[in-house]
Amino acid sequence: MVQYSYFPGCNLKTNAKGFEETAIAVSKKLDAELVEMPNWNCCGTVHTLTSDNIMKRIAPIRVLSRSRKHIETLEESQNQIVTLCSMCNSTLKIVNNEVKKDQEILDKINYQLEEDEETYETDMEVKHFLEILRDIIGYEKISEKVVNPLEGLKISPYYGCMLLHPEEAKIDDEEMPDVLESLVESLGAELVMSPLFKFCCGSFHIVDQEDIVASQVEKIVEAAKRRGANALVVACPLCAYNIDQQQEAMAKNSVVKSPIPVFYFTQLMAIAMGEPVKINHFNDHFINPEPLLKELGLIGRKKAK
Amino acid sequence: MSYEYLKFGKEEKDFIAKIEEISGQNIYSCYQCGKCSAGCAFSDKMDRTVSQLIHLIQIGQKEKVLKANTQWVCSSCLTCSVRCPREIDVAALMEAVREYCLREDYEKVIISEISKEALDKLPNIALVSNFRKKTG
Repeated sequence: MVQYSYFPGCNLKTNAKGFEETAIAVSKKLDAELVEMPNWNCCGTVHTLTSDNIMKRIAPIRVLSRSRKHIETLEESQNQIVTLCSMCNSTLKIVNNEVKKDQEILDKINYQLEEDEETYETDMEVKHFLEILRDIIGYEKISEKVVNPLEGLKISPYYGCMLLHPEEAKIDDEEMPDVLESLVESLGAELVMSPLFKFCCGSFHIVDQEDIVASQVEKIVEAAKRRGANALVVACPLCAYNIDQQQEAMAKNSVVKSPIPVFYFTQLMAIAMGEPVKINHFNDHFINPEPLLKELGLIGRKKAK
Repeated sequence: MSYEYLKFGKEEKDFIAKIEEISGQNIYSCYQCGKCSAGCAFSDKMDRTVSQLIHLIQIGQKEKVLKANTQWVCSSCLTCSVRCPREIDVAALMEAVREYCLREDYEKVIISEISKEALDKLPNIALVSNFRKKTG
């Protein structure tokens, strides 16, 4: 079995546990196991756009250097670190590119890492799990493993910003992506296209300017629902939190009627591949997807023998 | 019609140089086509749009730039940066204006003033990214 050094990032251990557990479960099923790297630290979540701030670039490089060591212990592993969170993906990718181009920055960062007896030699490649699914495993193999096609789910992919921006970190075409679309179709669900697939959800403004996030989420959800979607699929824990939590808040104030659940792409895969429901941690969601899944007969059905 | 006379002395030039230094961008590359503002998901919430703010930086209007809310509404989604026909990293300019404020001992978000319930409820990804963008 091919193994990948997997970097969880801060949220996969707290309010996106379902994202991580389903990803690990399906990765084993697809013979591309995600193995968590030891001793990881937060990547910083957002990449600094400044040209002169080295300090904010140290954390991602430390992650890459530790992942490099982790790879020595894995089977059939190439020098690849895999992330699930799209913000980790972009932060690690951008800094990795920067130090590959600029030896001076790398030297300065390595000087800082010396204290921990770490050093980075620019020999790692950062991959998002969606890239592994598309380029290495392939949709054909994914649909072969589907035992419970997601019939009745009308899913609108929501990419958010960090999967498609910037140029150095994008996993697909920035204006016409199709990776989530193809994945949703290979799981047997119906695809609903929304023009607001990368309309920013408001991101970190949730902390101090919640009204901005509320207005963005309302537009994103309305656009998907108007086209017939009954669920959204995302790859970013912050998008998921914002859309999920804001919908619940707006439903309370009756701004939005009939909110729709938000899934991580790996949760959809786990349901389609017949993994146990509990690894999805649906109780962490604000809009519980279980009623919809039960109504469509996708969970809670006794298996025919 | 009334005219406003603009000062363009050392202070203005220093401001432009500092923004260019932090962002690593040439501010005069911008020819004001407005594509960034047109595609911005937050234009309706800004008191000056992104391209207007860039114009103010070009003419060194430090006070007006720092008074605008544009840089604090920008969420660095980078849509403008991937679309700019002049290949300016527009989001980096917004970050530079933010950093300019933060480096002058200014905090947009004061962590001790956030309520305990909010800190318990919010995911760490939101808190970390917010503090990286809005505290010095």
